[in-house]
Formats: sequence, structure tokens, C-alpha cells
Amino acid sequence: MAQMQNAQSVALQLEKVRDKLPLLYERDDILLTMIQQRGDVERVSSRNMRLPLQIRPGGKAGLANMDGGDLGRGSGTVYDVAQVTPVFFRHAVEITKLVEYASNAPEKAIENAAKREVKNAMAQFRSFLDKVIQTNGNGVLGTISSIASNTFTMAKPPGSVLVYYNQTIQVYDPTLTTNRGSCNVTAVDPFGSTISVDSVPAGTSPNDVIVHDGLSGAQPVSLFGILYHQSNATTGTWLNLNRATYPVELATPRVNGNNSALTPGAVRLAINKVRKSLGSNQVSKLIAYTSLEQEHQWEQLGVTISQIIKEGAGGRASDLDLLFTGEKSMAGVPIKSSINANQSRVDFLDLSHWGRAVMQDIDFYDVGGQTVFPIYGASGGLASAYIFYFVTGFQVWNESPRSGAYIDNLAIPSGY
Amino acid sequence: MIRVIRETHETPPFVQRRIARAGGLNRFGEPNFRVVWGGSRLGWIGGRWTDRDANGSTIRKKIELRQVPKYLPLDRWHIERWFPPESYGSPDIWHAQTIETEDGIRIPALGPYPSRGEYEHCFTLQDAKGNFVPLTPEACEWIVRAIDWARRQPNSARRAAIYAREARRECERDHAADCILDSASPTPAMA
Repeated sequence: MAQMQNAQSVALQLEKVRDKLPLLYERDDILLTMIQQRGDVERVSSRNMRLPLQIRPGGKAGLANMDGGDLGRGSGTVYDVAQVTPVFFRHAVEITKLVEYASNAPEKAIENAAKREVKNAMAQFRSFLDKVIQTNGNGVLGTISSIASNTFTMAKPPGSVLVYYNQTIQVYDPTLTTNRGSCNVTAVDPFGSTISVDSVPAGTSPNDVIVHDGLSGAQPVSLFGILYHQSNATTGTWLNLNRATYPVELATPRVNGNNSALTPGAVRLAINKVRKSLGSNQVSKLIAYTSLEQEHQWEQLGVTISQIIKEGAGGRASDLDLLFTGEKSMAGVPIKSSINANQSRVDFLDLSHWGRAVMQDIDFYDVGGQTVFPIYGASGGLASAYIFYFVTGFQVWNESPRSGAYIDNLAIPSGY
Repeated sequence: MIRVIRETHETPPFVQRRIARAGGLNRFGEPNFRVVWGGSRLGWIGGRWTDRDANGSTIRKKIELRQVPKYLPLDRWHIERWFPPESYGSPDIWHAQTIETEDGIRIPALGPYPSRGEYEHCFTLQDAKGNFVPLTPEACEWIVRAIDWARRQPNSARRAAIYAREARRECERDHAADCILDSASPTPAMA
């Protein structure tokens, strides 16, 4: 009778937790999962998902002379179609025999190792996707401002917050045309805005950008993030539409922070732009999505219940008093802050207009029912390790760029 | 048919007095904090307005300065704090930052310069689910004192509190993941 292989046991354990993966993935504590998979959208195939947009109103109104006057000609509503194509992401998890042997309870070792790796890997995958969704659709995680040996100092924002230890990154020239090569991150200092890599790709220079692994060619396309959808650019494309064709309709209202600290006036300007565009009472679904830095700056103004109060009683203050449970807000708009958010921006988002076009829900990569794969050594024999993958394929869309607003170029408070 | 456009309320004087005692007075002898009803508190908004009907269709577009409710929801009590005029910069800076140009018309997006300062939103009286919470002087006083106390804490303490929250959330996420996975694959130790 053949011996049961370790990888088979792991596969059984992975199968046990398989239906729990969506629960681990879809927790609405990061921006990606606050954006819902919309029930009214068909699951997309490899063809583009089409989003019909009513872009400009039609009809010509005016005074009329009913005593034989010319009533004039009419016009019709302008429609166009935005298009979304999902992109795939994978997260590879490799477990060595040493990890398994490290367990002190032999009868639980395999299950514990698998469970632990599923939990850790899912957290890391979610974190990675949350970092990518902060970007502008080309996978750029940061810009190198200077290089010293194997250490890059990154321009802030975003500094090095969108990079994590042991991540494989690629260096591109500033125009995203030339891929200089890839390297692995050996250290990240988010406060110093530096990352260290194992080997600097040839030709790497200041102002080069780093992108995540898996992208290739010139002008790579990744997840369409905040900077992609919340932009007042009038050139380039947005969901396959030419921004120059609809320079007003596709532009998200912007307030320039002018490198000054966040103020109530700037916040009101941004919110009011949405109110003027959508109607004065149509901002009830907005959230103020920002970084911990700008949340702190807002607290310094003394216009909100500070976290220092909420963290009283070990963060359980909400159990003590109903009033603690109120969310922090910016001029009445609830604040959602993230460690990954751009440090110099506040984005006002109406997530009811955002959605995810999903081709493949989060799952294990599966080949004929097999989810765990052996690793081979240099000799061609088996290595003492095995590998499994999470995969998901989706893209993020926004059907109404004018339903949001943003403040950019804000000063980052000292101490960060 | 009579149609109610906007429900308005005046804040009871005994509430205002209590808040004024808790938060003190500003240089003009006015309270540093006050409570306002959402539908009664108006503010200036200037620019190009797009008016829509109930179906969301555009009725008209107009460039003008309007007084509209400053805070939403309209049917809640809101606590405000007074900001001195200098916190809005000089009148020149104010105009530079807030003047918008629409079709060649220059219009102040936030209205005239607040030469006597301005009250800004601090807190909406509602529960965690966004439900109405009635106005009580005790609650208002507590919030005012909490905001005022927190404002006087050192920056480092406020920053540390934010990081403590993030660390706590991370622990909660980790625990939740354990619970999800344990329910899928109970171990002998859990039995």
C-alpha cells in the first residue's frame, strides 16, 4: 500500500477550508472589499464588460412662439460605453517540511501548518491587493528618488508603504516603457521611506518607478485604483473612453491642497463640489477615505472625537457609552482611514457607484482537482517543500466619476 | 397641497447655555461650541448648480451663490465648534482658494470671508447605525468636554492612539480568521 504523501494531506486540509476562503477574503475592512461585487452585474467572461453611461443630457428647451413661430430642432442624450477587462492576481504559498516539523504536536502538524499558512497568506494577499488599489491602474507602487547601494529612497507620497518585505518588484523607467528588471525586497522602512533589494537591476536611476510582479511590456495595466478613477485629468483614457472627449463628465472634482495642512474649508470645498454636481442633499453615501496621517491632522483641528478618547478602556470605549460609537467624521462625512492610503490626499467616495467585475472569485488554483503541487530541486528530484496558490480575477470600475471628489497635495503632518 | 420643504428647529436655550459653560466663550463673547439642527443650519455654496428632479434627471444648470443646509443629515442635531477668522487665512488667501470661475463668472465657492470666524462641524448626534438620537444636554456637554480635552493632548499621544487602534484591528482580524478556519477544520485540541 502506497504511503500517503504529505502534499496529499495538505490538499485535504486545504479542501476543508476552501469554502471559507471568501469569508477570509471579503471582510469589509479594506477598500477593495468595501467595493462590492455588484449583484446586478453579470459575471464577466474574458470579453470586456460593458458599462453603458448616460454622459450628456439631450433635448433643447426654450421659449416658444405659438403664433406660427419656429420651434427649432432637438437633440438627444449622449451615451457611451465604458469597458472593463478583469486582470488576474495570484499569491503563491510555499511550505517547507521544516515548517511542518516545527509543530510540537505531530498529529496536528499538517493541519496546523496548512491552516496557519492559509490565514497568513490570505492576510498578505488582501494587503497586497489593498496596496494595488491605491494606485492609478499601472501597478506603480512608488517612485525612486535616490539610490544608495542596494537601498532606494522612495518619493513620498506614497513612500514605501505600498511595498512589503520579500515582495518581488520590477523597476521601470519613468515613462513606463523600459522594464529594467526585477528584484526582491529585503527590507522596508515605511517611516524612512526606504526599501532595500537583493540586487539593483542594471540601469536603475532616480525617478524610475517600481511596479509589482507579473506586469510586462510598456504601459502595463493593473488594477484600476483610486488614483485612476478619482482624477481630473483631461487626457488619457478611462475605462477605454478618451478623457479628452468628455473632459468635464469624466473628471472628478478636485481641490488642490497647495502643500498646506488640511482645513475645514478645503473639506467643505470638496464636499460642496459633489453637492453642486449631484444635488445639495445627495452626499449621504460619501465616505472620506484617507491616510492615518490626514486622519491625525484632522484630529489636530479639534473638530472630532479623538481616537485618544475612543481607545480609552483598551479600545472598548464603545461598550461604555452609546455616544462613543459614532464614527469620526469630516464635516459629517464618515472617515475611513487606511495605512495604505495616499498620505497627501483625502478622497470622498460614493462606493454605491463603484463595483467589481469578477471573472474568478478567490479560490485555490486547481488543476484537475489538485491544489497542492510539489517543488522540484535543482537535480530534478523532489524538493522538501510544496506550493499552492490563491487566484482571483477581477477589475474595479466606477460608473460615475463626478460622484466623488478629492483633495490632493496636502501637507503631511510632522512625525510621519 | 402643503409640502414641507425642510424641517427646522431652534436649539433650546438651556442646552446652549450648558454647552457654553462646558466649552467657554470666544473673543466675541459667543460660545466656542453650539448645537444646531441640520435643517436649520445654512451655509453658502457658490458655483455651477445642477438641479435634478426626483428621478435624477437634470432640470437646469445655474451659476449662483445659494444658502443651503450646511450639514447632512438634515434631521439630526449637530455639534459645531467655532474657528477664529485667522484659521481661514487672510481674506486674500480665502478668495484665492475659494473663488471658482464658471463660464467666465467668478463666484466665491464658500461665500464671503468669515471675518467673525465660523462654526464647523464636530459631531452628529446619532447612534452607530445612523439612527436619530434625541438632544440631551448631558450628551452634548460630554461630547464638548471630550473634544476639548482631546484637543489639548500632545500630538504624540493622539498619534499613538491611532496606531493602537490599527494594532487592535489587526489582532481582531487575526482572531476572526482563526475562528473562520477553526470552524472549517476542528482540531482535536478544540473538541
